[in-house]
Amino acid sequence: MTMPFSPPLVRMQNLHKSYGPEIQVLKGLDIEMKPGERVVVIGPSGGGKSTLLRVMMGLEKIDSGSITFGGKPYISSEGVGRKTVIDTEVRRSIGMVFQHYTLFPHLNVVQNLILAPCKVRGERKAEATERAIALLSRFGLGAKAKAFPAQLSGGQKQRVAIARALMLDPKLMLFDEVTSALDPELVAEVEQVILQLANQNMPMMIVTHDMWFARNIASRVIFCAGGVVVEDGPPEQVLGSPKEERTKDFIERVFHIRQ
Amino acid sequence: MNYSFDFQSIAYAPLMKGLLVTLELTIAANAIGLTFGFLLALLIMSRIAIIRLPAMLFVEFFRCTPAIVQIVWFFYCVPMLFNVFLGSLTMGILALGLNLMAFNAEAYRASIQAVPREQIDAGIALGLNPFQRVLYIVLPSAFRASIPVLLTNGIVIFQQSALVAIVAVQDLMYQGKTLATETYRPIETFTIVALIYFAVSFPVTQIVGYLERRRQLLVS
Repeated sequence: MTMPFSPPLVRMQNLHKSYGPEIQVLKGLDIEMKPGERVVVIGPSGGGKSTLLRVMMGLEKIDSGSITFGGKPYISSEGVGRKTVIDTEVRRSIGMVFQHYTLFPHLNVVQNLILAPCKVRGERKAEATERAIALLSRFGLGAKAKAFPAQLSGGQKQRVAIARALMLDPKLMLFDEVTSALDPELVAEVEQVILQLANQNMPMMIVTHDMWFARNIASRVIFCAGGVVVEDGPPEQVLGSPKEERTKDFIERVFHIRQ
Repeated sequence: MNYSFDFQSIAYAPLMKGLLVTLELTIAANAIGLTFGFLLALLIMSRIAIIRLPAMLFVEFFRCTPAIVQIVWFFYCVPMLFNVFLGSLTMGILALGLNLMAFNAEAYRASIQAVPREQIDAGIALGLNPFQRVLYIVLPSAFRASIPVLLTNGIVIFQQSALVAIVAVQDLMYQGKTLATETYRPIETFTIVALIYFAVSFPVTQIVGYLERRRQLLVS
């Protein structure tokens, strides 16, 4: 039974995005995300997965379409060359973690965490620091509070980046290939932290090439190719017995089960 | 070779006096170069052509003409054209300062534009407004990256300052020339003068090398 009074957390309608006249990345994308969902977006490179997250974060303009967040208008554009209108107030309730960590190299770990809370929300430094330390110890990084990004391993950097995003109490987390740049032995520690968040019902949208992780964390999998949603459903279905030919082909390739 | 060196007849006091003037020129030119160079960098990055183009022309003028021509031009043409003469030391400081300002502006610009786009994206994702992104992310990173180049430019100006001797600023080079003429000992005098320039420059170039090595460790 659907609950009539629970609006979708995110509603993307007819998103179009191109880089110049030649390259169309999103060709009319419609995705609706319910509160508490953990959506994993998979698909071939260039299929628009990362662009989708970047658009969601308000980092990319769109040609046309609209996004609402928690029922409120968030991003919209009326056509190519027109202005993309972004509600920055709404944007603040979304957190994002990138492939290449993007920690600020001149700030130590705690300073990275408290910069936005202090400057954006006007939180007091002592208070923010206390929250930062607590969050870091939860992620097994208590000893690294004073370290600079250059002194951390890739896995540690990425966990710090996740903690930094969480400092602003996001209502949705976006993870853009966060383990792709990591050495294989460091992947697990980062995925562990994301699973920890999943257990606390944090809504998230994840772009990943790690199918094992996708199966473990997703409440829903979207297969995106050629700028549109090709298949959308529970992980067992999309990853286990996909209906669409293109999804089947992709899944077989990544699992190396082609005969 | 039967030239007998005679370092005894070199009077060190005027050289030291000259060195003080040279240091004064260097420090004042660097003060101008570091502060106004930064403002100039902001102008050459402006999106507005009316602001950007004159600033770029200014920079290119100083980068594409010999420093000695700039100094001579400044000393002879500015007083005639604008009817201002501020005393040779002040004029020397201004000539060197404007030159350094152009080179430092380029150093600032390069390091500001080298801050990765991803860093700014992270700032947006954290809700920082454009002003905060520049103030807390771009500039601190860029300043650190530009320090080795700024120091190198600073030490180049220390050496270029020798050129103002030709317009009668009594710096180290000027004192050296005077001394060489008085003592008929140019070889010894200029050896000493070179050693003094070297003694000041060398530690700075070593610091630059150290900073660059450390930076490479930090960035990787």
